[in-house]
Amino acid sequence: MSNIDSLPHSPPALWPQTLVGAGVLVTGLALAFGAIGISSEAGYGGVGPNFLPWLVSIALTICGGWILWESRTGGFREMDEPSGASKAYWAGFIWVSAGLLLNAALITSIGFILSCTLCYLLAVQGLRRASGQGGVNTPRTWIIDLVTGLLIAAPVFWTFTKFLAINLPGLTATGWI
Amino acid sequence: MEIFNALMHGFALAITPANLLWCLVGCALGTAVGVLPGIGPAVAVAMLLPITGKVDVTASMIFFSGIYYGAMYGGSTTSILLNTPGETASMVTAMEGNKMAKSGRAGAALATAAIGSFVAGTIATVIVTLFAPFVADFAVKLGPPEYFLLMLLAFTTVSAVLGKSTLRGMTALFIGLAAGCIGLDQISGQGRYTGGIPELLDGIEIVLVAVGLFAVAEVLYAVLYEGKVVEGQNKLSRVHMTARDWKRSIPAWLRGTAIGTPFGCIPAGGTEIPTFLSYATEKKLAKDSDAKAEFGTSGAIEGVAGPEAANNATVTAALIPLLTLGIPTSNTTAILLGAFQNYGIQPGPQLFTTSAALVWALIASLYIGNVMLLVLNLPMVGLWVKLLKIPKPQLYAGILIFATVGAYGMRQSAFDLVLLYVIGVLGVVMRRYDFPTAPVVVGMILGPLAEAQLRNAMSIGEGSATVFFQRPMSIVLVIIVLAVMILPRVAKRMSERRAAAAAAA
Repeated sequence: MSNIDSLPHSPPALWPQTLVGAGVLVTGLALAFGAIGISSEAGYGGVGPNFLPWLVSIALTICGGWILWESRTGGFREMDEPSGASKAYWAGFIWVSAGLLLNAALITSIGFILSCTLCYLLAVQGLRRASGQGGVNTPRTWIIDLVTGLLIAAPVFWTFTKFLAINLPGLTATGWI
Repeated sequence: MEIFNALMHGFALAITPANLLWCLVGCALGTAVGVLPGIGPAVAVAMLLPITGKVDVTASMIFFSGIYYGAMYGGSTTSILLNTPGETASMVTAMEGNKMAKSGRAGAALATAAIGSFVAGTIATVIVTLFAPFVADFAVKLGPPEYFLLMLLAFTTVSAVLGKSTLRGMTALFIGLAAGCIGLDQISGQGRYTGGIPELLDGIEIVLVAVGLFAVAEVLYAVLYEGKVVEGQNKLSRVHMTARDWKRSIPAWLRGTAIGTPFGCIPAGGTEIPTFLSYATEKKLAKDSDAKAEFGTSGAIEGVAGPEAANNATVTAALIPLLTLGIPTSNTTAILLGAFQNYGIQPGPQLFTTSAALVWALIASLYIGNVMLLVLNLPMVGLWVKLLKIPKPQLYAGILIFATVGAYGMRQSAFDLVLLYVIGVLGVVMRRYDFPTAPVVVGMILGPLAEAQLRNAMSIGEGSATVFFQRPMSIVLVIIVLAVMILPRVAKRMSERRAAAAAAA
């Protein structure tokens, strides 16, 4: 269907699957640890607030153990080949992550428009690099992306705050930036 | 007659200029998100959930169902014109639609998809109109044990039957149930899994989970693995169907509707089974040798018409379990349920009496929306196709801005944006290792409701689980749940054995 087929594929390593299984197992155990502190006060029904937490933690622990077992005995069963490249492009991931986390850190102090523009700017850099575009680091690209980010973020801010009365943080109290 | 009067009242409410505008904007937005790769109706509705704080309930529900509906129309455009299938619902359309487009018949494929969606959507809406009140009347008689079992049925089908691996489906479901546990227990008022963080006392917003799992995860996945994927696009030809196309499409639309509607009605969810069934039916029924030869080669129009109709019929009929039982069977209906809950409304049998005006206005808007979508998608299809020209880096980075609106606008908490990122990373892992996401969302929304029903049922039974086996309806439901779990496995085992026997012979 797409050109994915032409990308190089090697047989998947099994250790990431083991990690996923271990993650589920640890989540199940952590939930069980948390369930200890929940009251079992059951009233008439015999089923208290701690029933579902225990059920979920036991089930997740079993699922985690099972996934772990599958990963150690030939890998996940009945699994579709994941789409895209076999190797991750971590540099791009760091760009997008930086955009999202800086957005979370700055949104209340520099306002929605500037914070989201920054998020856009960093994310688009990562995505451009991921697609192998040339000239990503030129001042021209940065300026174009900055302006595009502002052109998306500002109207979104105005539409949602002015027409739909949703509270989004501004840099000033004017309601325009 | 009573239904007719109620529907007319609904129309009166739905055709006020403001509500018509909401419907139009919803349909247009829905078509856009359907066409655009990377976002679907579930995430679009989730991102816009904060408007429930300010916009009137009827207007916002009309708006949201416009998005829900419109995305189905838009999705087929992408699956016909782009060489990558989008969501599972349009995967079958992509199989034949793509081949038709490659042999220069994109226009006919788009036309049969849009008109088929209209026909199926309208017929299914008529069925919703006629049957939903009856189902509601019947559902009033159900007690907590039956409700709990119905929800258990929804959990079972969404996690164990749909999707490839039962183990990974169940894991996803329990992760969703765990997320639903966070916050104050609704019966005893006790905090669970809050870890001393005050923000978690209110629980995790469904917006965060939906936007994180679908939008943020999509962007992160794209940057990690799909940067170099280049998609070819088919050429758009004139949107037109010949007399022969009509003759071949009409029966396929009707058959697709007949297959899709019952699948939407049962609280089992998923458009995969009905669309594949419709495709298989059309392939089998293809009579003349020309049509038979077109399947899988130059693209048969029946293979687009049937599944597209089945898809829309399923999606529309899924409103019956949502409105009458309060049971969502897909990501988008789960989020629509969340929207109702934001207004303090719990969909269920009482909805037809307590919020009759809202329900009928919503149903009336489906008729109106279908007509609007036909106009938006047939003469104006060229406009939507232009959306496919937006370069991916800019599109995906732009999606993050909208994700911020949804996540931050709900509770005005920067903490939620960090949580959004964490959920996004979780979504990447789930996608990479083939964990389904629908069970997470359905588990999270339906989990607390199912827990409350379970505890009420156990109280009725004074602590004894025999309460689930004492009433005829609950026994029937227990049997259905067991059948849904066991039968597909037995069938698979038998076909494997037969294949092995054939290979040996």
